[in-house]
Amino acid sequence: MRLIFDEQLDLLNKELITMGAFCENAIALSAKALTEGNPALAKTVPDLSAQIDHKEREIESMCLKLLLQRQPVAKDLRVVSSALKMVTDMARIGDQSADIAEIITLANIRADDDTQIIHDMSVAVIKMVTDSIDAFVKKDMQMAKAVIAYDDVVDSFFDEVKEMLIALLGKPEADGEYAIDLLMIAKYFERIGDHAVNIAQWVLFSITGNKEG
Amino acid sequence: MTKRIFRSICLVALTVFVASVFLIMGLLYEYFSDAMQAQLKMQTDLAAQGVTNEGISYFHDLKVTNYRISLIDMNGNVLYDSASDIAKMGNHLEREEIQQAIIKGYGESRRYSATLTERSLYCAQKLDDGTILRLSISQRSIFTLLLGMVQPVCIVFLIALVLSIVLAKQVSQKIVKPINEIDLDNPLSNEEYDELSPFLRRIDSQQKQMRAQKAELAQKSDELDTIIGSMNEGMILLNSKGKIISINSAAKKLLDAGNDCIGSDMLSLCRNLELQDVLAKALHGEQGQNSIKLHGESYQIDADPIVSENIVKGTALFLFNVTEKEKAEQIRREFTANVSHELKTPLHSISGYAELLKNDMVKEADKIPFAGKIYEEAGRMIQLVEDIISLSHLDEGAGDMQWENTDLYTLADKAVQSLEPQANAACVTLALSGVPAVINGIPQLLYSIVYNLCDNAIKYNHENGSVMVTIENENNKVVLSVQDTGIGIAPEHQERIFERFYRVDKSHSKAVGGTGLGLSIVKHAAKIHNAKIEIKSLVGKGSTVIVTFPK
Repeated sequence: MRLIFDEQLDLLNKELITMGAFCENAIALSAKALTEGNPALAKTVPDLSAQIDHKEREIESMCLKLLLQRQPVAKDLRVVSSALKMVTDMARIGDQSADIAEIITLANIRADDDTQIIHDMSVAVIKMVTDSIDAFVKKDMQMAKAVIAYDDVVDSFFDEVKEMLIALLGKPEADGEYAIDLLMIAKYFERIGDHAVNIAQWVLFSITGNKEG
Repeated sequence: MTKRIFRSICLVALTVFVASVFLIMGLLYEYFSDAMQAQLKMQTDLAAQGVTNEGISYFHDLKVTNYRISLIDMNGNVLYDSASDIAKMGNHLEREEIQQAIIKGYGESRRYSATLTERSLYCAQKLDDGTILRLSISQRSIFTLLLGMVQPVCIVFLIALVLSIVLAKQVSQKIVKPINEIDLDNPLSNEEYDELSPFLRRIDSQQKQMRAQKAELAQKSDELDTIIGSMNEGMILLNSKGKIISINSAAKKLLDAGNDCIGSDMLSLCRNLELQDVLAKALHGEQGQNSIKLHGESYQIDADPIVSENIVKGTALFLFNVTEKEKAEQIRREFTANVSHELKTPLHSISGYAELLKNDMVKEADKIPFAGKIYEEAGRMIQLVEDIISLSHLDEGAGDMQWENTDLYTLADKAVQSLEPQANAACVTLALSGVPAVINGIPQLLYSIVYNLCDNAIKYNHENGSVMVTIENENNKVVLSVQDTGIGIAPEHQERIFERFYRVDKSHSKAVGGTGLGLSIVKHAAKIHNAKIEIKSLVGKGSTVIVTFPK
């Protein structure tokens, strides 16, 4: 009985990692499309986002089935319930990557000095997402805590982008649409960072049982 | 063991016990019965004499305790009985002892009572008057006796049981103890039982065989481990569920895996989706190939399903670093594109001029210059093709060229002299200094090294500049240096100028001329001679190329 349960938990773990890999791919693609100013590349992201949503449903029903049939307790319960919460955050990461891609497909963005800082920000966010999933894979508390701390870096990037855009809009020849698109992209990246923090917190919860923050 | 021994002991004890009881009982009972019978016969004799002498009155003062005396007439009617009322007794004529007595004068018989608890012995004697005197004595039957012995028998039986338990335990311990103490690691050192020696010898031979096989196996797995471990390619074995069974050090390094990754899922090492696709395919029995990027390098992944009896038992995953290969392929592609481009350019001019001449659209005075242009462009093409041929020759290793002791100074002098016209045309002074230096090499290649370096030094020079060729002969090396006062090479280009068709300034390549292959030839020729090339250059001040030949 326990053996079957363990196998199911193992499968859940695998599915979560796969979904994490999808998310990493989605955000990496969006960031690449942004840096290269490549709308064609950005068009592939919504497909990936749909795949992520599909995966979310799958994992959700898997978790519910586990809760119903096995009635897990203690650590098993923490694993299943945190999985149930994590998929929501992962799905949001996928959605927001798709949102970023959608803005890029409008072709207002060009590879420019202005996008350099957003590129740096995207690198930081990708690192957060990758690390949060790595923390989940390795059940690494230190890494999860590092992800939570790293959010400050992304936040300060967002502030920098904001200041840069304010300066840009102050110029007489400012392109308003371009500036607002950049601002939205930066905001989406910042939100993705927050979701990565959530994932890290759920990883901590599944290990320790303490819900911080 | 104890149980079995106990059972046998118990059985033996019981059998002996029961047999002896029956034997003794049967024998003794008969013996006592016979004795009693003899005594009875004597008593009957005495009583018969008494009765003969005294008649029936003999019975009146007779005190009978053990015996029962009866007197029976010839017709079987009981005349007297010491135990029962004669009136109630039936005819005794049919009784065995009476019959015998009537016929022989004396009769005996033994009968069991109705309940079998008693046995009566009878003795009958015919008296002179024809009546029969019968004495009987009753004895307890053998069953009653046995019944009476139940208690002692049970006690004896219990004692036998307890004794056999204790004995069985002791015996089995005695038997088992040396067996338990046998040193199975050295079977032949035991001398407890002769009966066990074939067994021990067999164990010994099997142990030896096993040790040999184990050693062989360990050696083989060591060999395999060493081979797999020292492989540059990553190799991972996965079971049918995608869990890692074995991973070599190259793959570990590549995927940042710790030693505890065996048994964990492949997904936890690498989340690359292409890799997962290939793996999923392999687990369904399909061979898969793909290339992925890891740490900024390109890797080709090969996943081969391990199929046995039509079931996928696992997957062998190989990771090859193909970065160099891809780079080489790219260089080759660029080379092909460049060659076709470089060949096309002069051909276009040639074909254009030739077309004009063919259609007779050229003034008579222009015909000579046109022909000159065609000649010039054709010359460029010949030069290019020659360069490509010598390059491809160098690529093959220049195996058919003759190695001989050559004086580099003489070769350099020849090259400088042949370049003198160009130098004069470009207003550049060309000078050679140094000492003769004999090295073992291929003269054509050494010549082309000096020639191409000087050619470049002249081409990329300022007006009134100078080119200084120096040959130094040192203890274990010969140094050729070509110093110019030209335009110099920026640091970011210094690495790449030896690439085929690479030009620092692409826009002026036509004006300067050359094929773009000269330095490439120098690089290859130097490589064949194991020589090192060094560039010292400052933009605008000039460059120095130093080629160091080992002696």
